[in-house]
Amino acid sequence: MSDNRGSLLPVYVLADESGSMTPHLGELNKGLQSLYETMLTEPMAAAKVRLTVLGFADDVATYTELADLRSEYKPPELSTRGSTSYAAAFTAVLNRLPHDIGRLKAEGYRVHRPAVFLLSDGMPNAGQDWRTPHRQLCDRATTPAAPNIVACGIGGASPEVMLEVASTAEFALVSKPAADLGKAISSFFVALTKSMVESGRSLAAGNAELIVTKPEGFSMAIDEV
Amino acid sequence: MPEPYGPDPRDEGLGISDWERSDGWRADFDPPAPADSPAPPALPAWPRPRPRPQYDPPEDPRPAPPGAPPSDPQRFAGPRAGEPRADDLPGGGPHGGPHDRPHNAARAEPAVPDWSVVEVGTPGHVFEARPPAGSPYRPDTVVDGWSTDLVTMRLACVRGYGHRYSGTPREDDCAVAVHEATGSVVFAVADGVSAAPQSATGAALASRGAVTDLLRQLDADVPALDWTHVVRTAAWSLVARAAGGREPESAYAEEAERLYATTLVAGVVRADRYGVPEVHLVQVGDSGAWLLDRGDGRYRRLLATKDSHGREVLSSGVTPLPRVPSPLAQQSVALGPSSVLLVGTDGFGDALGDGEGAVGRLFHRGLSAPPPVLGFAHLLDFSRETFDDDRTLLAVWPRHLLPEPRR
Repeated sequence: MSDNRGSLLPVYVLADESGSMTPHLGELNKGLQSLYETMLTEPMAAAKVRLTVLGFADDVATYTELADLRSEYKPPELSTRGSTSYAAAFTAVLNRLPHDIGRLKAEGYRVHRPAVFLLSDGMPNAGQDWRTPHRQLCDRATTPAAPNIVACGIGGASPEVMLEVASTAEFALVSKPAADLGKAISSFFVALTKSMVESGRSLAAGNAELIVTKPEGFSMAIDEV
Repeated sequence: MPEPYGPDPRDEGLGISDWERSDGWRADFDPPAPADSPAPPALPAWPRPRPRPQYDPPEDPRPAPPGAPPSDPQRFAGPRAGEPRADDLPGGGPHGGPHDRPHNAARAEPAVPDWSVVEVGTPGHVFEARPPAGSPYRPDTVVDGWSTDLVTMRLACVRGYGHRYSGTPREDDCAVAVHEATGSVVFAVADGVSAAPQSATGAALASRGAVTDLLRQLDADVPALDWTHVVRTAAWSLVARAAGGREPESAYAEEAERLYATTLVAGVVRADRYGVPEVHLVQVGDSGAWLLDRGDGRYRRLLATKDSHGREVLSSGVTPLPRVPSPLAQQSVALGPSSVLLVGTDGFGDALGDGEGAVGRLFHRGLSAPPPVLGFAHLLDFSRETFDDDRTLLAVWPRHLLPEPRR
């Protein structure tokens, strides 16, 4: 006997917690808080999304795992430390994805292709091979549930790197030059929230494409190349 | 002494109303509940036919004539002793009268039916619906139902909980009609693609266009129905709408796709040469059709729909009208005496899955016999979290399942 409890969209937030983000920690945590508050007011959309928040620096801190935002009232508090290891970030998602998908399926859900939203203000650590785990993560032969990756670069982030990280060029975004970083972070979370609500709604409407809203003050990375 | 049609102990506390078993046959198809399964969702106590309200005439202010019998307050209170009440007569209610009601209940006030939503597993968020924005008028729910000499039909199209919550219109639509000369039942269900801003209009145009074309073909007594023509007519209705009276050209086809994209399943049920109902279907997009076996509760999928079996993640790609796939997905099947034809959009199909879950069991129990028309919509409007898309479902049973005589 099999029961079908519905279709879920796993969403992963990969937040850069490297030292250079320290001045903007307040905006980071405020953005998360706003995301949580909004999803509480959107129970129909929130029911179809499961949120995992990972903070990466030298290593990866797991703040929430497949959280159901209809019942999560307290957002995690991010903290900054160390350098910018994309390798650690992508390896963490790569390792946990099969487990997460299996867990949701075991609970009786069907699963849409996951979405990863990466926010970073810097260049990945030099000398670290982040491309290998990233390639494995994006290769649907290696990772059948390979996620759609939306890469948002702020401050010193390189448009070229964002283009490499994002799963399609339309998903690579960078804040406009001279943009206020605090505002850019805030608009990232506004766009993330909108994307989650819209994607949740579109799952409801039987059209399960990931809806990505461009954050205000961002432009397509491809425009910058 | 127990009532002759008293509650079935298996139904204790489930609120199953007596229309299900009043025909006496349903128990034969009642599936045994799996020993380790959770309690099945309760079927609603459908609003059911009641005897005509008793008539209590006002007091006659005039004095009684000399010799007249004293006023009889019971005179209009109900049938006289030995007379059958309307709902005790065979066929007194369309779907089984309240046989278990004590005779002394004739004077009781009619009970308000249980309107509560049918819950499956964890129900969805509870809220009051917001009105759909915009025009034209788009009612929340469309319901229909009737019988021909051949089949009994029920149809419901309900706005999804997601659209009710956000105040957006129902994007599903449907149409059903009888071709009188042949007794064929023609139908169409359509699911407007939400990315298209006027997909509700598209679903309405496509379903009506398909049914109209089927009726025309039957009128013309064509040797074989041209299903490509049916689909092209439905697609054309979208393009013509986009053209707005101008000469349709390819630019309008693109405009029609952007504005009115919709899925479609159209079909016909008609008697074969031996008088057995046979079903023909055509499909564009991911709306589906199934045959439910009333005996064992299995659902046979008649048309391919999206599902995750064998895939790591769900795929939801859909090619809707006005695009016309080639070849077209078609299906023909006989509607046997123990089968129910179900045709529905993915709002129903996704929740049904392979039919072996709680939703499949609920609809097996609820559709083993044709329910009341409004009860059918009530059932389809079940609440289960994450399933909040619009739902359309057409169900067709062989006519012999209802106790009422043919007229």
